[in-house]
Amino acid sequence: MKNKGIVIFLIILTIVIVTVVTLDYYSSKPDELPENPYALNLTSFEKVDNSQIIYTEIRDFTINFSEPAGICCTKDQIYVVGDQKMQIIDSYGKLIHEFKFDQKPTCVYTSAQNIFIGFRKSVSVLTGDGVKIMDWNSFSDSTVITSITEKSGIIFIADAGKRIIRKYNPEGLSLGVIEGKSENEQIHGFIIPSPYFDIAFNADGEFWVVNPGKHALENYTINGDLRTWWKATSVRIEGFSGCCNPAHFAFLPDGSFVTSEKGRVRIKIYKPSGEFLGVVAAPSKFEQNSHPPDLATDNSGNIYALDLDKKMIRQFVKKEK
Amino acid sequence: MENSYKNSRRDFIKKGTRVSLLLTLGVVGGIGARHLTTEKYVWQIDPFKCTQCGRCATSCVMTPSAVKCIHSFDLCGYCDLCGGYLKPDANQRSTAAENQLCPTAAIQRKYIEEPYFEYVIDEKLCIGCAKCVKGCTSFGNGSLHLQIIQNRCLNCNQCSIARLCPSEAISRVKASNAYKVKGSFTKEG
Repeated sequence: MKNKGIVIFLIILTIVIVTVVTLDYYSSKPDELPENPYALNLTSFEKVDNSQIIYTEIRDFTINFSEPAGICCTKDQIYVVGDQKMQIIDSYGKLIHEFKFDQKPTCVYTSAQNIFIGFRKSVSVLTGDGVKIMDWNSFSDSTVITSITEKSGIIFIADAGKRIIRKYNPEGLSLGVIEGKSENEQIHGFIIPSPYFDIAFNADGEFWVVNPGKHALENYTINGDLRTWWKATSVRIEGFSGCCNPAHFAFLPDGSFVTSEKGRVRIKIYKPSGEFLGVVAAPSKFEQNSHPPDLATDNSGNIYALDLDKKMIRQFVKKEK
Repeated sequence: MENSYKNSRRDFIKKGTRVSLLLTLGVVGGIGARHLTTEKYVWQIDPFKCTQCGRCATSCVMTPSAVKCIHSFDLCGYCDLCGGYLKPDANQRSTAAENQLCPTAAIQRKYIEEPYFEYVIDEKLCIGCAKCVKGCTSFGNGSLHLQIIQNRCLNCNQCSIARLCPSEAISRVKASNAYKVKGSFTKEG
């Protein structure tokens, strides 16, 4: 009789232990949480059909920068700025020259004669050998220089802080500004919610400006008159979404636009007419919600993306059919 | 001899009472001084660690959650196409319910001037689900972010959200600096 009581007690104890262990196993643990009804799933907007990807990554090389900022390239050299320096490297990643600065550059542009280094509130003009010729410092306190380009001896400087494009002659004399205003009601002027404001000339000498708040690319004369524009607003792969896209762009030799975006980080190509052509790099290739890669292209149609998070230059070429 | 014994006992009680009072005064004073000098700690979210998983809405012991979305207007782009206000596949950029991302319509969209819009959070309606935060972070400047509102928080000894937070974004901070609002609070802290 005494043994029977002990057996019953042990059976009850076993049942209690098993119940507690089972309940604990199925309880809400950080790695075993039930589906959350409030989760916002954006993965469907990151997926890209393989048939839309028309470029392939053939090479990447790590660069010795902790905070790379901008890239441009010439026929056989790549110029990268960031930290407090500029590096000139060949197309295989070999360092050719390095130049130090006393502040952090934001962008770089090379013309036939000079190298223009953009800082937050100033521009340094260097010779092709890296010797400083002059500094342009007469900007506003709220100036944020994000891009530089040049045509016919006029240097264009994109000022995201003031939302204007400044024009200078090679001696640093101001030639006025472009505000992007137009009588056309659909054009508003430059809307720059964050410091991404890119400008470039295509091979035909046409001056194009990103209006990121409008998801538009706008073509101006050198005098600042709007000639034409196109826009593509959509969270789908065909368009630009969010506050400030495209963040960067560059031109291919045929006049096609190469664009990179923030938020859903991706690189795409649009025809000269603005029609979506295809994808260079899908969001899966980048860390999401991070920095948009700066872009450069060469005469052969290679695309160089400066990946600011992975600290590397990634080279893309067109897929062979 | 008997008288001496009585005096001794009386003295003992007197001394004992004095010592007890002094001890009590010391303990009470010590506790008071500790409360005055020791910093109080509260729970708060690091917006740069938050991955907008949505658990703040469902895991808080409070209903609705003590976690709310707050807006750093300094960082906002005042966008017409706001990723925090509109569903990613919204039909129109309007205030129609079917276009709003927020499940409780806690974000008010106000027209300022073409093409700028201001977005204001109604704290009473916000349940801290972070849908808008994810939309803003994914498509915009990340000006919308979550914070634990201290006058709603019970300051539990073990925060039930912190226990489940997959990114360990919730930690104790000094009550004198109880908020980590983007703009004044940066990624580097």
